[in-house]
Amino acid sequence: MSYVKGLKCRECGREYPKEPLYVCEYCFGPLEAVYDYERIKKKLTKELIESRPENLWRYKELLPLDGEQTCGLNSGFTPLIRARNLEKALGVKELYIKDDSVCHPTLSFKDRVVSVALSKAKEFGFNTVACASTGNLANSVAAQAAVAGLKRYIFIPANLELGKVVGALIYNPILVAVEGNYDQVNRLCSEIATIYKWAFVNINIRPYYAEGSKTYGYEIAEQLGWKAPKHIIVPCAGGSLITKIWKGLKEFKALGLIDRLQTKIYAAQATGCSPIVTAIKENAEIIKPVKPNTIAKSLAIGNPADGVYALATVKETGGWAEDVSDDEIVEAIKLLAVTEGIFTETAGGVTLGVAKKLIEQGRIPKDESIVVSITGNGLKTQEAVVEKIGKPIKIKPNIAHFEESVKI
Amino acid sequence: MAKKMVHLVFPQRLIKKPVIYTMAKKYNVIPNIRRANITETVGEVTLELSGTKENLEKGRKYLERQDVKVEPIIGDIVE
Ligand SMILES: Cc1ncc(COP(=O)(O)O)c(C=O)c1O
Ligand SMILES: [Zn+2]
Repeated sequence: MSYVKGLKCRECGREYPKEPLYVCEYCFGPLEAVYDYERIKKKLTKELIESRPENLWRYKELLPLDGEQTCGLNSGFTPLIRARNLEKALGVKELYIKDDSVCHPTLSFKDRVVSVALSKAKEFGFNTVACASTGNLANSVAAQAAVAGLKRYIFIPANLELGKVVGALIYNPILVAVEGNYDQVNRLCSEIATIYKWAFVNINIRPYYAEGSKTYGYEIAEQLGWKAPKHIIVPCAGGSLITKIWKGLKEFKALGLIDRLQTKIYAAQATGCSPIVTAIKENAEIIKPVKPNTIAKSLAIGNPADGVYALATVKETGGWAEDVSDDEIVEAIKLLAVTEGIFTETAGGVTLGVAKKLIEQGRIPKDESIVVSITGNGLKTQEAVVEKIGKPIKIKPNIAHFEESVKI
Repeated sequence: MAKKMVHLVFPQRLIKKPVIYTMAKKYNVIPNIRRANITETVGEVTLELSGTKENLEKGRKYLERQDVKVEPIIGDIVE
């Protein structure tokens, strides 16, 4: 039983059938899944959701499948942590970490989108999946396609962090490292996608894939006791996650699953790649593409596909945006580790660094509920911190040398 | 004939210049504009270009030489 009516162009509103389509043939705008909310409202209650297993499929009426889910059966429903130590460090009253650094199975929020994308690709009858990735998506597609018995082609820029390369190769995909920057991987893949009949999760499956990110927002609301927080800070690369968190919260409000929705949403990017943040700060309508240069490689998208919608989300919610330098990213990664015991990747450093900045600027008040979106795991981007965290103290195996070397 | 869907971003100083027209004439490329948005400081145009593969490539290079950003239609998809 499906609650998806079809696809619809975000720009001109033209409707399309449920097929592997992603761009409006008239205005070239992106397509988005639309649902029959009337029917969903009759069925989906808090009680029903709470009675289901703790994974992202507990919200399945709001995900774009026609049949049952077949991939990512244990993904999602990651911890929402009350961050007491971090509250003290930042001088705020109520702060939470939504921790997708422990999302199953590949330790980033991309496991959510890929669960939906591959389930949908199987519904469509594809036997080969592919993606263009800066790392996390590569890991998730490689792992989940292996489980699903799908052939998998993964395209990455050749200069990726070792943790992300290994984190893909271990699942035995066909991993193609493109000699060139992100732009060039991108161009190549958009061409490949037109030639081969593959399910490119972030190209021709994108309208379905992107819906998976809504579950990050649903979970925040459910875990807060069916309430939306006052402020959410979200890292942006293509701008899809931030857009879908907001869509998810609006759906919860429309379905009566939360009573009030006054959440302000903030975009976080690295200074070395901040086309979305720049547009927000300059109050521009158009995103100017940039050439990325930052250690936050997972966010290094110079021409964000959903940039204008990310912009619209921030404007609509009354939020704001900030960017942080590579040094600030590293500082924030360390801060999260020593306060909350969470080792996040560079994207998480961006988010927390930006949260800190916005709090210091007074943009985010200190006495309202704040959620910081931690979306990836630090073990994958060790290069970013390895030179900045001290070294082990080497000693000979005796007490004298221990006491001489380690100042207690 | 090949077709390409592209998104062009123009800096302010080019907004008033017939850059697309010049490119189209020079390389025998047919532009078919689907969407456009011009603000004070930048302009963006979404369009389909038809021509031989070679000419499309020359057209793209020409636009880039003029300082127009030429991007595939769905933006960067690397994630
Ligand atoms: C860890 C992490 N966080 C956030 C994002 C941003 O997601 P989006 O492209 O939807 O803006 C990415 C994208 O690759 C990511 O890898
Ligand atoms: Zn359209």
